[in-house]
Formats: sequence, structure tokens, C-alpha cells
Amino acid sequence: MINSSSSKQVGQDQPATSEPKSQRTKIKMVKSEDSDKRMLNKKLKDVEISIPIVYGNVSFWLGKKASEYQSHKWTVYVRGATNEDIGVVIKRAVFQLHSSFKNPTRVVESPPFELSEAGWGEFEIAITLYFHSDLCDKPLTLYHHLKLYPEDESGPMSSKKPVVVECFDEIAFPEPSEGFLVRVQNHPAVNVPRLHTGFTLPPPVPFEDANRKKRGDTKDHPLSQWFMNFSEADELLQLAAARQQVQAHLAKLRRQISMIDGQHQQLKTISDS
Amino acid sequence: MDAKDILGLPKNSVTQEKKSRPQKDSQRKPDGISREVYALTGGLAPLIPAIEASQLKKRPPSDEKITWQWLPFTNSARKDNLHLYHWVRIVNGVPPTGDYSFAKYNKSVDIVKYTDEEYEKYLTDPMWTKEETDQLFELCQSFDLRFIVIADRFPSSRTVEELKDRYYSVARAMLIARAPSPGDISGHPLVKEPYNVSQETERKRALSMVLSQTKQQERKDAEVLAEAKRITESRMVARGAEESELPVPSNAGPESAERAAAIPADTVSPSSNVQQHPSAAVAPSTITVDNASILASLRMLRVYLRTYALDQMVQAASSSAGLRTIKRVEQTLQELGVNLKPRVPTKAVCAEHLELRREILTLLNLQKQLQYKEAEGSSYRDGSYADTPGTPKHLSHGGDQDRTFVPDMSFAGERMGKRDQKRKAPGRLSEAPLPAHKRPRKSKAADL
Repeated sequence: MINSSSSKQVGQDQPATSEPKSQRTKIKMVKSEDSDKRMLNKKLKDVEISIPIVYGNVSFWLGKKASEYQSHKWTVYVRGATNEDIGVVIKRAVFQLHSSFKNPTRVVESPPFELSEAGWGEFEIAITLYFHSDLCDKPLTLYHHLKLYPEDESGPMSSKKPVVVECFDEIAFPEPSEGFLVRVQNHPAVNVPRLHTGFTLPPPVPFEDANRKKRGDTKDHPLSQWFMNFSEADELLQLAAARQQVQAHLAKLRRQISMIDGQHQQLKTISDS
Repeated sequence: MDAKDILGLPKNSVTQEKKSRPQKDSQRKPDGISREVYALTGGLAPLIPAIEASQLKKRPPSDEKITWQWLPFTNSARKDNLHLYHWVRIVNGVPPTGDYSFAKYNKSVDIVKYTDEEYEKYLTDPMWTKEETDQLFELCQSFDLRFIVIADRFPSSRTVEELKDRYYSVARAMLIARAPSPGDISGHPLVKEPYNVSQETERKRALSMVLSQTKQQERKDAEVLAEAKRITESRMVARGAEESELPVPSNAGPESAERAAAIPADTVSPSSNVQQHPSAAVAPSTITVDNASILASLRMLRVYLRTYALDQMVQAASSSAGLRTIKRVEQTLQELGVNLKPRVPTKAVCAEHLELRREILTLLNLQKQLQYKEAEGSSYRDGSYADTPGTPKHLSHGGDQDRTFVPDMSFAGERMGKRDQKRKAPGRLSEAPLPAHKRPRKSKAADL
């Protein structure tokens, strides 16, 4: 008995807090079904992390206060798709505006990564994201066409309801460093794939205090009521339904083809004789 | 000028050219150099001016008094104390000091010197007598280790490599013998990489062979090398494809090669419920090879956007298809109610999207196949046995026009159900897709 209990203790040599340990055991249970021996040999480079983001703009017509050169007040931004704090990944965002703006290169050093301006014209904004040095030293640029005017040109413009255009995308890092993985393994903004049984990360450093975290996310953002919803599940459902149709049709075609082949064979034997 | 009139050429062009050319020339002439001298350079200034143009007109500073004197001098590089005379530039009555300015260029190599005892102790060699070795070293000293020259003047005939070998092994032995401890000289090049006679002879032989190759041999060599490169490249690609195919055992299902690296069963998504139909009718090996190279290139990027990755893979998948086929795929997607570019491009969604595109491509190919086969069938029935089977391309299109059974892509949900359609052709096929005549515009899309 003593032996068994001591061996248990030896097994638990990780001085981890309870949370990551339970995570790891949860992963282990899922893995046992699929334990491909090959997986154990895979290195860090097969762990690709992704950060789902949404970028776009919200634009309000200024109504009575609109002048010729400042008819709209707009905000262009990059946010986490689930409104979590992407500051853990993104160090700063640089918005390159139209040259007619003063200081068209606007740098935002902390989340929320957004920029508000007033103007009258629609143009392409280049948003360059710089990541933390332990993740990636190469920046990534997104392009967003600023939309101020509603699609329906004939309708009346309302200063209460803004024009909102948002785009969903995922930033993928194919070979993140182990240090970064440790930093973000349980962060809600980052998608980290399940790690393999043989591979364990050192326990994460607990996050900085909640206050700091709170400010970075956009859950309580003043514009959050206008944010669009992006449902992965809906799209997957749609795609699955489409695939089912195509596959059924494929099956039918294959049957037809094999039937015809059979008939041709018959005809051939007839003609040969 | 009359000729230009006759030919109808515009008169102005010539005069314009004449005007612009002299303007250009006069613009480019720099100051400080006369025009003719500048023109010697070809009319273009050198990128880095060798001499500052302003320097050429510089006069010496007026506070210095320059005279020239005929004075004797000695050369420290000479051993015979020879006195020669030359003109010396005197500034303000003070003659210049210092050695003869060219003495510093008299460099020589430090040749190893050995005493007789040292020779007895370390340097004896069956192949070399002491005399020969001494002669060699004398020559080395006087000719600064120029072995080609030394070999020429060496009394007995020895090859350059032999002489080099003897010299370097002697030098090495002396170095090791004289060093206070072996560690001191372990970094010395003579000790680290001793002269290798056989390697050198071989190398020189190979070099001379290469240099004396005929043109034909050169060409053949180049061909062989190119072929070898191609083979190694295709081997690398095949290995890459293998590695990505391995984790996908038998379910050639919706997983793209990229996701095959992850665990397939994990994904909690409706896609896992879709029946895993082996969709690849298009050569699967080429698809995975393209995909593997795209994946490899994506992995080389430190960071990328999912939409970019999807674009690349879609392009790769449709690289083998013509423009019309790509348009048909997109049309099909639209009919199915699927966004051409997914609205929520997550990894899972992109994978599904890609697989859907592939399946549609397969579908279109199969439709074409079916058409061909049915056209073949008509040739059999019409008794045109002159046509060899299996060459449907030779059949005219006209034969197909009255057979409007080209499968229509009107996927409107429940319409997919079995319906008996009236058709002109004898109804051999039990299941018929919707006829084209109901939707005339769709038949255009189904054109080959």
C-alpha cells in the first residue's frame, strides 16, 4: 500500500496548479482512443495556433452636424472574434490611412486596436499587425475598404444606425515557439490545438491581474452592440449539407456509368461475334 | 525632305530630335574638365569619380616653398649598401625622412631552417637524401616557395606534389618538435590540415580532365546533372507527399492533408457525421502533391492569414482545370447556396470548403465521362462500327444534341428526388436527372 501511494506521488512530479493538470488528464483521455504512435514523435513544429479575428469599420452619419468634409464619423478596428483580448498576441497595429489625412500612419500600441476619424470618403486602409517578439517578428497586413455609405443608396441615411462592415479571418502561426505556447495555452483568444500525449508544456504563468486583462478585450466596447455575429457552426452546417448533395449525385453518376459500361460490354460482344 | 514628303512621314520628328540632342550634351558637361576630355570618357560620368574634378585645377598651397634636389639614397631592402641618386622634393628646405619608400614591399617567406642534429632526429625519410632536402630548402628560400619554379630548377626530377609534400612534412615535423607543448600549435594550419599528396595529385588530374573536356562531353555532363537534380527533386516531393499521406490511413475523407496531421476524430463538428465518401476521382496523387507543396510553403511563412491559405489551395486544386470548369464549379457552389469565399473562414470551414470544391470538380468530370460514354453508346447503336470505341472525341457534337440528358445541377433540395422524366432517347437509364428543357438557361452551363 505504501508502495502504491508513493509511486503515485512520483508520477505527479509536475508542480502544477490544479487547473492545467486536469486539462492534461482530460486531453489524455481523449487521446487514448487515437493514440497514433507516430504522433509521439512529432515535434513542436506541427502545432499550429490560430487567432480568429474580425476587422472592419463602423461608420455613423453625422446628420445635422455633417459638414462637406466631415460627413461621417467612423472607427476602423481589429478585434478578437469572440471579443477576447488579442493584445496577448498583437503588440501593435498600424493603420495606414488615405494621404489626405494628417499623419496618415496611425499607430495603436495597445488593445483595443482601433482608430476613429471623421471624413467623407471611402478608401482602402492597410492594417499592419505587429506581433510580440516571442511569437513572430514578421508583421502581417490586412486590407479593409472603409465603408461609409449604406448599400441601399436610395434609402434615407440615419444618424442613429451605423453602417457596419466586418470581415472574419484567422491568423495562423505554423511553428510557434514553446515559450509563446506556454504563455497562451489557456488564453481564450488563441486557438491552440490539442497537444500530444508525449508532449507536455511547463505550467503556465498565471495571467496578469484581471484589471489589465479586462481592458484589452472588447466585450464591453461601446460599439459592441453593432458587432456582427460570425457563426462557424452555421457555415459548417451549410457546407455539410452541400457536400451531402454533391456526394449523393456522385453516387448516382457512378451507378450510371457502371451501368453503361456493362451495356457497352454487351454490345461489344454482340458486334464481335 | 522631299523623300519624307513622298513617304508621308511627319516632318517635325527630325527637327525635334536635333533640338533635343545638343541640349542634352551641353547639360551634361561638368565643370573643371574641358569638354573634349570629358567626351573621352564616353560622355557619361563614372559612378565613383576617380579624381575629383576640382582637384585637377588645385594649385599647391602658397605658403610652402618647393624645390627639387639631386640626392643620394640607400635601400634597406638591399644587402650590398648600394648608393644611388635621385630627385627629391624639398619642402621649405627640409628634406624628407624615412626609408626608401619602396623598401617595405620587399617581402619574403619565412622558410623553416633546421640544423643537422634536428635533421637526424626528426626529418630523415627513406625517399629523400639529406642533400636533396637541403637543395630543396635552398631553392625554397630563393624562390619564395614558388614550387612550380622550384620544380623546374630542381636537379633530380621530382613532381611538384612530391616537393610540396617534402617541404610541408619537414615544416610540420619541425613545428611539432620545437613547440613547447602540443596544445600550442594544435590550431596551426600545418598541424590541423597536413598536405595530402594523393589527394592533391588526384585533384589536379581531375581538374585537367575537366578543362580538357570536349564540347560533347560537357553537354553530356550537364544533361546528366540536370536529370539527377530532377530525380532528387521528385523524390523530395514524393517524400513530402508520403509524410502528409501517412496519417490518413484509409479514410480519404473530408480531411485535407493539413488536418490529417491533427487527430481526425477530435473535431466536434457536423462534418464528422457526413458520410465519408471516397471523393477523389481526380488523380489523388497529384492533389496531395500540390497540397503538400502548398503546405510546405505555408509553413515557411512565419505567419499567414487563413483566407490566404485557402486561396492558395483553391488555386492549386483548380490549376489542372480550365477556366470554364472553374466557372462551372463556382456556379455550382452558388446554386448550392454556398459562399464562394466562406464568411467564417476557420480552419475547419476552409477544409470543408476545399473538399466541397474538389467533390464538385469530380462531379463535373464524371458528368463529362458519362456524356462520352453515352455518346459511345449511340455510335454502337447507330451501327457506325468504323469508329473505334474509346475515342469519343472523334464523334461530332451533333450526335449529342438530341440527347438532352446532361445532368442538371439544379439542386433545389427536394427536387433531387426520383422523377421519371420524358426523354427522347430510349429510357435505358432508370434514374434520370432533371431534363434541360425545363430550364433552358442551365443547359448552357452544362456545355462542354
